[in-house]
Amino acid sequence: MLQFTNLSKTYDDGTQALKEVSFSVEPGEFLVVIGLSGSGKSTLLRCTNRLIEPTSGSITWDGLDITGADGAQLRTIRRRIGMIFQHFNLVKRLSVINNVLSGRLGYLDTWKSMLYRFDSEDQTRAFRALERVGLTEQTYKRASELSGGQQQRVGIARALMQQPEIILADEPVASLDPVLAHTILGYLERLNKEDGITVICSLHYLDLVQRYATKVIGLRDGRVVYRGTSEDIRTMTDAEFKDIYGQEAERVGAGLAARTPSSASPTGAPSSGSGSLDSGSTEGAE
Amino acid sequence: MAKTPQQKEQSRQARVTARTAAQNPLVAPPIAAIASLLIPGLGQILSRQTQRGVLIFSAMATGGGIFFWRVAELGRRVQGFFPSIGRALERSPGFVGLAAGALALVWLVAAWDAFLCSRNRKRPGSGVFALVLVSFFVLGWQIAEIDVVKMVRQAPEALPPLSRVIWPWSAAITFETESLSARAEILVGEGTPPTRPVPVEDEPYLLVEPNVGSMTSQDANYQPVPGTRITLSGTNFAANTETEIWWRDPLGNEFRPREDSKYLIFQTDNEGEFQLEMTMPYRMAPPSAQGPFLHTVEARQVSRVGGPQASEALKMTISRMIETIFMGMMATFFGIIFSLPVSFLAARNIMSGSRLTMALYYITRAILNIIRSIEPLIWALIAVVWVGLGPFAGIVALTLHSIAALGKLYSEAIEGIDGGPIEAIQATGANRLQTIMFGVIPQMISPFISFSIYRWDINVRMSTVIGLVGGGGIGFLLVQYIRLLDYRSAGIAVWFIAITVATLDYVSAEIRNRLM
Ligand SMILES: Nc1ncnc2c1ncn2[C@@H]1O[C@H](COP(=O)(O)OP(=O)(O)O)[C@@H](O)[C@H]1O
Ligand SMILES: [Mg+2]
Repeated sequence: MLQFTNLSKTYDDGTQALKEVSFSVEPGEFLVVIGLSGSGKSTLLRCTNRLIEPTSGSITWDGLDITGADGAQLRTIRRRIGMIFQHFNLVKRLSVINNVLSGRLGYLDTWKSMLYRFDSEDQTRAFRALERVGLTEQTYKRASELSGGQQQRVGIARALMQQPEIILADEPVASLDPVLAHTILGYLERLNKEDGITVICSLHYLDLVQRYATKVIGLRDGRVVYRGTSEDIRTMTDAEFKDIYGQEAERVGAGLAARTPSSASPTGAPSSGSGSLDSGSTEGAE
Repeated sequence: MAKTPQQKEQSRQARVTARTAAQNPLVAPPIAAIASLLIPGLGQILSRQTQRGVLIFSAMATGGGIFFWRVAELGRRVQGFFPSIGRALERSPGFVGLAAGALALVWLVAAWDAFLCSRNRKRPGSGVFALVLVSFFVLGWQIAEIDVVKMVRQAPEALPPLSRVIWPWSAAITFETESLSARAEILVGEGTPPTRPVPVEDEPYLLVEPNVGSMTSQDANYQPVPGTRITLSGTNFAANTETEIWWRDPLGNEFRPREDSKYLIFQTDNEGEFQLEMTMPYRMAPPSAQGPFLHTVEARQVSRVGGPQASEALKMTISRMIETIFMGMMATFFGIIFSLPVSFLAARNIMSGSRLTMALYYITRAILNIIRSIEPLIWALIAVVWVGLGPFAGIVALTLHSIAALGKLYSEAIEGIDGGPIEAIQATGANRLQTIMFGVIPQMISPFISFSIYRWDINVRMSTVIGLVGGGGIGFLLVQYIRLLDYRSAGIAVWFIAITVATLDYVSAEIRNRLM
């Protein structure tokens, strides 16, 4: 179990991005963090593997103190936590396979890895990871030659190389179109269900949250303002949702019209792009 | 929507009225013109065209100032104002007349311009400024000492050396030669005639008849007195080969005597024999020279043996070209090594941590900019003073310049690094070295390589020039050839420079394209 206790983060310029955030994540959960842009989602996820140093509070993981870990300890913790990013964060000049193999770095001897040498076991693992995300064809291409959706799948393969127990996903589909969003989240869901990997994911679109989350927390101005199960969020009122999301509330519904015509907005109010909160059913994701 | 004519007219009038309120000329047109005649531009200022007036005034002031400076230069040695103008007019009537005329015209047109400014309340055309340009052109022509006449007049003289530079290849090859010669001695003055050597079989042999005689000389009235006629007969020379006659006086000076003011040069016959008559040449004897002297006459044949060979100039050029390429390479190499650490100091994203590092960043940038703005040729002049003539001076100069140029380019590459992938690599549990190796270096490697190759290209090109000031390499050789008026060899050097630079240019562009 991952336990966040009174976690706070104040940036050097005085911005209080997280204020006394406390919650816990059970193993195998698909936790979705929602909140307005600037509410502290990225900060929260980055504090989890200490890419950002929390100012106060603690994160413990099955009794292991993440916030107190030092260099070597921290790296062994990090390698058990995969991470994928909104902008994929692949090393664009490296080949796909090297990007995937770089997920293994935390397990490797420094000097061997300096020469980009990976033993056959790791290579086999990398090929299997690529196979799993359906990118066998692209193995030796340069990462920059791939489309956005493919790049994010490489990102997932890289995370898989870590044999992670947790995957952090910071708006993994915000740079992708709605159909691709489902593909990517589908992969995450499978990892969550089949491999039992805990997923902590921040999302922007309401219907995606409703479709994938097993648990939701809502942030506003660095505070937790909402906690709910997937049931809760399905029955959530617009008012509640707007409270967290404000005017930015969005769903992918419109983009999925091609897949599920029934989900088209009945009011027809927003004629293009993402539908608003009060439009249509919540089943757009199916 | 198109406007009707009436609407147009109305809006024009509205504009004019709007203007009148704010931009009413202060004086009437004739006054403005007179004002501009007194001080160019004043009339425009009085017509509320201040910018225009100031511009005209400063143009006139500058043009006039330069004109009087040049006139003073031309009439330098003459006292007084008018005499010096007279002298300048004498020396360079075309320039003084044209420039004075152009300036006067500008002055008058400026007055007319002021008149128009005041009357029309709108800006006249820019004719006056075109005239200013013309007068500056006239001044510039004289200051830059442009002399087209000279260029045309001297073209015929320049043609032979230029053609040698353009097509120098006859100097690129030489043939190994073998010379065949025989000599005979002649006594001048009193004494026993020299004994003739005994002919040796298969060796060329030269017989002089007689072998006692007197040289051509001058009498008391400086009239020439011809010397003794002698007959030269040669045997056993190479057949049908060009043969020259040489003379050596007792002091050991060698020269080619002439007969009827032509050098003695002829072909041997089929048997390798010849016979010719000549007058003993004129030779001024030193005052101390008294008594008998032995002169030597020699018949020489020079014949090619073996195939063509690279000439000395070609060999020198190639070795210097290689030296040049390596100078460029070493300078690039040192430039890369030193600019790498410097580039981190000059990268804003690396140095933005604190005030101290920011200060260091600005200092580094400033130093790099200063070094870069001084041409490598000037650095070479300084380096020659420092480490002496030769390629090392060139390398020092080019290295300095490369550090500055590469430091800037590298630092920009560092500034362009994307933090996202670095964050992602860190998140996998990689340590610092691994993060650099997988997250940082792959992002920098291709700009680094491409900048470095580009720099090598530039450095080789520059090192051909740096030799001109003593920095070694092919430029050094080129200057020597030009000073010796050896235009063919200079031409070979020029050709090699052109070929090398063009090749390198192509190769480096090609490599950079592949990397991008
Ligand atoms: N490096 C930083 N320095 C200062 N303020 C930051 C930094 N990163 C984020 N912030 C601020 O912290 C707050 C939370 O940001 P973030 O965690 O990125 O929110 P979200 O991911 O929900 O959009 C915002 O107000 C943002 O401006
Ligand atoms: Mg964010």
